[in-house]
Amino acid sequence: MRAGILGLAFAGLMASTVGSFAADVAVLTPYQSSVATNQMINVFQDKAKAAGWNATVVDTRGDMGQLASRIEDVVAAKVAAIVLVSVDPTQIQDQVSAAAAAGIPVITIDGAKAPGVALNVTSDNFELGTKLSDFLFGKLGGKGNIVKFFYSAHPGVHQRELALDAALKKYPDIKVIADHYVVVPGPIDDARKTTENWLKSQGDQIDAVWAAWDEPAIGAQLAIEADKPDSKIIIAGIDGNPQAVELIKACSHIKGTVSQDFDAMAGLAAEGLTQILAGKTPEKVEVFAPAKLITPETLGVTCP
Amino acid sequence: MILLRRYGTLLALALIVLVFTIASPQAFGSTPNLINITQQMALLAIVAIGATLVMVLGEFDLSVSAVVSWAGIAAAALFAAGVAVPVVMIVVLVSAVAMGAISGFLVARFKVPSFIATLAFGTVIGGLTFWVSNGATMFSGIPAGFRDLGRGTLMGVPVPTLWLIGTAIVFWLLLDQTEFGRRLYAIGGNREAARLVGLPVRRDMVVAFALCAALAGLAGLLLTARLGSAHPTGGGGYLLQAYAAVFLGMTAFREGEPSVPGTLVGAAIIAVVSNGLTILGVPSFLQDLLTGAIILAAVLVRNFGRDGD
Repeated sequence: MRAGILGLAFAGLMASTVGSFAADVAVLTPYQSSVATNQMINVFQDKAKAAGWNATVVDTRGDMGQLASRIEDVVAAKVAAIVLVSVDPTQIQDQVSAAAAAGIPVITIDGAKAPGVALNVTSDNFELGTKLSDFLFGKLGGKGNIVKFFYSAHPGVHQRELALDAALKKYPDIKVIADHYVVVPGPIDDARKTTENWLKSQGDQIDAVWAAWDEPAIGAQLAIEADKPDSKIIIAGIDGNPQAVELIKACSHIKGTVSQDFDAMAGLAAEGLTQILAGKTPEKVEVFAPAKLITPETLGVTCP
Repeated sequence: MILLRRYGTLLALALIVLVFTIASPQAFGSTPNLINITQQMALLAIVAIGATLVMVLGEFDLSVSAVVSWAGIAAAALFAAGVAVPVVMIVVLVSAVAMGAISGFLVARFKVPSFIATLAFGTVIGGLTFWVSNGATMFSGIPAGFRDLGRGTLMGVPVPTLWLIGTAIVFWLLLDQTEFGRRLYAIGGNREAARLVGLPVRRDMVVAFALCAALAGLAGLLLTARLGSAHPTGGGGYLLQAYAAVFLGMTAFREGEPSVPGTLVGAAIIAVVSNGLTILGVPSFLQDLLTGAIILAAVLVRNFGRDGD
């Protein structure tokens, strides 16, 4: 009896979530807690709503096995399209190929080209890493010690790290004296704690912090602000995270971020999907959104 | 009422399947999807069967997720070095067994609480995994022959499902039909009494932890085969879900005791809920709410029956 009541209640809840006749678009990511990924998803959802699509977001919290299973689920549900955000589709190639074989278009935002992917909208991550490294090394006058926050598991973020390696070859007087693989989720707190430890052990030797994206940069800023506010350490990251931009504006230790235009990426993806759902083929399989360097100067701020 | 008391959790699973089938007869209720669910639950169930062994002892192994990740990365690294598939599988499984045996030895010989010993040793394994992988996802050089061990079908049955069926039969027989299995239940019931009657308590505990890690290693290998890539934290999602499956299973078939059939039901509930909610287009946050609620409801249905309420 009670089991029946529970079942009916559950069925009612289910019924409230289904019943739309709009095109179902499944948005899947393993990294929704990332500010940048979240921003892209939010913008895409707004565009989807405007286009009359029914977009559902699934986050697997870094679990690629779960991501593979959830793609299989939405293929079984025969959705109109699959949008993968911040994930390299080659890591789940079988599922992407199965979706394509079932006639379901797969597009990626902040992803990569792969068989079965109709469109990838992204930034050139190697270029982002090069811009960040050149900016930071320029600020140091081509000489100094840096610490590095990296996350090689994300293919895009790993490209930035490779760009750093290439830049270090051009600047032989720049030394990486410590590095840290950032814990995700929770990158800000992880970077804060790591920086605190570095400041205690080798704070006098650090000239700059190279952060593969803005959240570890913010963590480093929090630690330096608390433990060594008068130091000359400079920090730079990538993404143009709104909090990082505010900290640049406030003349903190963060002196630059290479901004990815996430809104543009999500918008371009929505435009591409509109074409695909209309039966057209996008002109290019991969589209790059523009990137720009944000500094106090570009924000019109004069820092002491 | 007797039916509810004895098979409440199983009925809850049937009820959940029924509700999803009514809500989505074309997608959820289709035969390919139901077969696919067995594939999706396979790796979780294999890890959970391993966890069942140590839960029978009244212990926990919190390093299972680290062993899953380790197995995937170790395999990918060996493949990149050109090592043959059978050798890779043997080396990885032996390394997993060794890891489990170390955890079991720490718990059995030095009486370190399993919670702490396996948490600490799991952290060590995690460090080793990051060291080998340099923190990166590894996906080059994984041979197609290996990948076929975790994908595709054999006579219409997904290969991961076949691994699960084989594992479940072997470990069900081991726990229910052998002296070793009965000894594990005896040790879990009263360790001191088991020791006093002369059971090899330490040895059996080490073997149970080693088998648990072996299954986590097997799941790691199959996960890498299924995805064609190995992630240094790829096993992270299995820890809580595996124990949720064992706990759910403890409310089925036996009176509060972990068992292989019970764990299979628990893993099936978790897999069916994830699959069904995704197919119905339920957003992630609502999926979390409903998954927790459904697990609680499944246990409550059983307990109502038990109380005769």
